Amino acid sequence: MTLIYLFIFGSVVIAGLTAVYGLVWAVRDGQMRRFSAGAMSIFDDEEPVGRMTDAFPGEGNASGVGVGREP
Amino acid sequence: MSSTGAAVSGTDRAVLERVGWRGDVDGSCQVPVGLFFVSAIAWLMVGTVLALLASLKMHVPGFLDGTDWLTFGRVRPAHLNTMIYGWGSMAGVGVMLWLEARLCRVRLPLQLLLVVGVVLWNVGVAGGTIGILTGAQTGVEWLEFPYPWSFLFAGVFAVVMAASLMMFSGRREGHIYVSQWYLFGAVLWFPFLYVMANALIHGNLATGVVQASANWWFAHNVLGLWFTPIGLAAVYYLLPKVLGRPIHSYYLSLLGFWTLALFYNWAGTHHLIGGPLPAWLITVGVVGSLMMFIPVTTVAINHHLTTVGHFSRLRVSPTLRFVVFGAMSYTVVSFQGSLQSLRSVNEVNHFTHYTIAHAHLGVYSFFTMVMFGAIYYIAPRLTGREWASARLIKVHFWGTATGMAIYWIGLTWGGWIQGLKMDDPDVPFLDIVRYTVPFLASRTAAGVLMTIGHIAFAVLAWKMFAGSGVRLVGPTLFTSRRPAAIPGGEV
Repeated sequence: MTLIYLFIFGSVVIAGLTAVYGLVWAVRDGQMRRFSAGAMSIFDDEEPVGRMTDAFPGEGNASGVGVGREP
Repeated sequence: MSSTGAAVSGTDRAVLERVGWRGDVDGSCQVPVGLFFVSAIAWLMVGTVLALLASLKMHVPGFLDGTDWLTFGRVRPAHLNTMIYGWGSMAGVGVMLWLEARLCRVRLPLQLLLVVGVVLWNVGVAGGTIGILTGAQTGVEWLEFPYPWSFLFAGVFAVVMAASLMMFSGRREGHIYVSQWYLFGAVLWFPFLYVMANALIHGNLATGVVQASANWWFAHNVLGLWFTPIGLAAVYYLLPKVLGRPIHSYYLSLLGFWTLALFYNWAGTHHLIGGPLPAWLITVGVVGSLMMFIPVTTVAINHHLTTVGHFSRLRVSPTLRFVVFGAMSYTVVSFQGSLQSLRSVNEVNHFTHYTIAHAHLGVYSFFTMVMFGAIYYIAPRLTGREWASARLIKVHFWGTATGMAIYWIGLTWGGWIQGLKMDDPDVPFLDIVRYTVPFLASRTAAGVLMTIGHIAFAVLAWKMFAGSGVRLVGPTLFTSRRPAAIPGGEV
């Protein structure tokens, strides 16, 4: 019984340690610097800040998202 | 694995100049991710039928009771498992693979193996569901499939994990966006948890009370370390992408991830409050649950402040409607869950319909609605087609949103009173059962509304993936991809 508890909680602790390892790695790798640049990493010239990228089919919107259809 | 970026051949470079890197990446996801989505939606429909049957049986006990395999004790776990492993996990893996490819800016690797994985996963869910309906279920909640099927799932997890690691190691984007961290949490921790729980429980290493603690450690983490990180990864990507606004506080988003990573894993034993377990073991779960206030608060602040002032955009974007609904539900369900872990609250809500409402607020109102939103965003980019009908999307949204609201309000209200009555020894048990009947009927009504929404979604998906949807030219959505330019694309 005690061994099983150790097994379960050992697993929990190992899972926790992987999180700690990941955190230490992220800090050393510089992932925790320049937060505002991180937030911008999903935007670029093709899909810039300020432009919506989704709309109901057949409905455009004020942000310039429109739906083009073949004639 | 071919890739985008600098190291591409001349032919690839010419293609990339026409389609942009997003078109190339999305094209590589077309078959595997599309198959995950189609399978998920098929299981959603199966799970919905099972859900309606189970719900009806709660207030019309004689309904279809003449056939063994349609009895409540089989239909209900069959509903749970088709939704968790069929709909939720397959939609989640599809969204995860697409997001990882996007965030790492690489083409999806191991495409053939992933297609084989989809087939095996479907075989596993079908075999497991038949096993439950024919009476071979294990009786362990959230792991009811007869255990041999778990080997199939473990094998597919290994392929998904390998694909994720390959994308990460070959990534072209130096910064690891917050969604990527959440996806890592899901894809690296959950398979480990799944294998460990199966070994402990089905390998008979953990029996009796210990089996119960292993069971709820696993079951709670299906939500905490699988659905929650995938759902939040999708929200953190789609909310800013659709709105065209970066996340309000990127610092808070990372704080939220790392605190979730440290605390959620511990929370499961609060399910066993009142059970014959050592008090400290349950207290660990209560403390872990309350610590979740930190990541949930950071996520709530971030999502609200990113969207605030732009709620009118919900009228124009299907993705945004579903994702914002899901994100708000996440906040509610998480605070509710933390409070439920308190012993004083739990002694009322435990073993009542209140808990069922809470579970659906998490798996449906949060996770499923976010997956709907994500599929509305991703599928047109996979197929190069537009969704066939804005009206059907609205039917889908309003059917599921109002259905879920009725479901949650009815069972939360009825369940709480049920709990108070059950704690009063002077109230006869049958009186309590009779008291809950109208609330159970309201659940069936809610289920009908949700079913209408699911049918609308299935029709839309059929038109999208079977090829009868309207083709895009200057897409919804993004100007760089021309479907015909994707090598191997099916347009």
